[in-house]
Amino acid sequence: MFFRALIVLLLVAGAASAQTLPRTADGKPNLQGIWQVQNRAAYDLEDHVARHDMPAGQGVVVGGKIPYQPWALEQKLANFAARASADPLANCYLPGVPRIMTLDYPFHIFQTPEHVAITFEWSQVHRLIYTNGEPPLYAGIESWMGDSRGRWEGDVLVVEVTDQNDRTWFDAAGNFHSAALRLTERYSLSDADTIDYEVTFDDPNVFTRPWAIRMQLHRQKSMDRILEYQCQAEAEEASGDFEREARTWYPAPLPADNVPFDAAAGVELPALTTPADIPRHADGTPDLTGYYMADGGGANYGLEAEDREILTPSSRGVVIDPIDGRLPYQAWARAERIERELPHRGYDDPTAHCFVAGIPRSHYVPAPFQILQPPGYVVVLHERMSWRQIPLDGRAHLPDHMRLWQGDSVGRWDGDTLVVETTNLNGKAWLNEVGDVASHAQTVVETFTPVGADELIYRATVSDPIAYTRPWTIEIPVHRRTDELLEVACHEDNADLQHLKDVRDEYRASQNQEN
Amino acid sequence: MIRSFAAVLTAFAAFTALAVGTAHAHHSFAAEFDGNKPVQLTGKVTGMKWANPHAWIYIDVEDADGNVVNWALETRGANGLIRRGWRKEDLPEGTVLKVDGWAARNGSPTASIDSVTFSDGTTLFAGSSNPAARQN
Repeated sequence: MFFRALIVLLLVAGAASAQTLPRTADGKPNLQGIWQVQNRAAYDLEDHVARHDMPAGQGVVVGGKIPYQPWALEQKLANFAARASADPLANCYLPGVPRIMTLDYPFHIFQTPEHVAITFEWSQVHRLIYTNGEPPLYAGIESWMGDSRGRWEGDVLVVEVTDQNDRTWFDAAGNFHSAALRLTERYSLSDADTIDYEVTFDDPNVFTRPWAIRMQLHRQKSMDRILEYQCQAEAEEASGDFEREARTWYPAPLPADNVPFDAAAGVELPALTTPADIPRHADGTPDLTGYYMADGGGANYGLEAEDREILTPSSRGVVIDPIDGRLPYQAWARAERIERELPHRGYDDPTAHCFVAGIPRSHYVPAPFQILQPPGYVVVLHERMSWRQIPLDGRAHLPDHMRLWQGDSVGRWDGDTLVVETTNLNGKAWLNEVGDVASHAQTVVETFTPVGADELIYRATVSDPIAYTRPWTIEIPVHRRTDELLEVACHEDNADLQHLKDVRDEYRASQNQEN
Repeated sequence: MIRSFAAVLTAFAAFTALAVGTAHAHHSFAAEFDGNKPVQLTGKVTGMKWANPHAWIYIDVEDADGNVVNWALETRGANGLIRRGWRKEDLPEGTVLKVDGWAARNGSPTASIDSVTFSDGTTLFAGSSNPAARQN
């Protein structure tokens, strides 16, 4: 009798908590928000005592030990001994799943009926989990982060992760897997601020049986946005491999001999018309969801029109204001732009190092991006492993001293046009491979205007008093296609950088001899 | 199972059509390679690296004295190849290729290639950023 009463009590309590869970418009548990683990799983999934490079921690493996095959346990121990250099994260390589979920950096989950996207502070990694029931378009293509397909089983989000390559570790202790690994993640809200997160590992090449980890993800109530940790950029700045540009990086001063910036200059841009019958959400806003490729017209090789004969492609010119198509450079910045196209400066382009492209370049590098519209945001996932999360709540920008590669973006709808203002840029990015100049003083107002069912007109108006004499605007058509993002593990596979460094170093040596 | 050679040619041709409109450069080709150093190489494929932002084809090239040098040939990124239906099995080791491109400035046996010619004489584009090459 007592136990029956207890069971009834527990059932009532369980039903009450299920009812109070935050839910989306379509009735699913709402996972959207900023989350982070509070454990030591990133160091070692198993129980471990402290070492010089890791704090002690209680394990998260169900049953305590990972069931390695004998050879694999030897490999794991060898990995552990060599971890200072052999750990993929020591080289800033993509962490894979589930390691990315356990790092000591927050991540933002975004949720729509068709997708769950996770954007990570760590190196702007993202995951796109398809919950639309579509099978993988590129099944069998291995990548560092793998392919994620999700489904809802009651109130539990179940995600199958496949096609991860065999180069990632599960933690800093050398726990590893083969390319045959299949993961099943389970996300369930136990209350509004806690996700019970469980992962089952199935890899017959390495383990004697499937095994699992369990941990909790905690909502980060004190954060209103996640910031940036660009692992490789920070490493190369610290080592001197990526050098400071004193004239553009924050907080470079306004050059004393600059022409005064004419903020009011500019022509009235041609009006754009959005047809009524484009795809729209229930509230009438344009439905921008999908995979996009910009018709950049060589903007990545010059924003101004330029015919070239060899190696660097021509650019058709995307500047619509000033109407002559020429960027209104300050004299020093035009001289810098011309020098940047010389071979010995190729090494200085941040994207040659595989750093993120900045704004607006992220939208016309020759690589696709995915747009999602979860409640309150527009989220952009760039195939070249960076993201933009654009809140639509009218919030204030970050304090001026907080400077980021991708800046701080806040958006709003103006009729059928998405307007995004980006500030807080750090001035490290180049605008393209030939070195069109931007500084930390740059602010960008972008508009995304649907002009057809599957076409947007993208415009970016750049105001940068350090590098230019007045604002200027570029315009690029962007097309929605039926396709899925792949992964660009750029830094992992970057064989070009040493060549570019050789060219620079040879030039510097020749200059020293002349002096 | 290696797909038919004809399928490889078809995939190359399809990629050619794509590549005209879609470069996948992430660094300045003119900075890394020398427009004054055109190279023409013939050799056997020893491997291919399916990488982004650029994929690489490796070929053994024998000179007049019988010395064999392994050249690294840079093309566009793997994702562009994958989207056109290429898979890892499609360029088997031992395939004889003739390539045109530009040599690296640093003197290493590395080239950005703009065309691939198979032993049957079919000339196909492989992915250099050279705009002249893209007119082919």
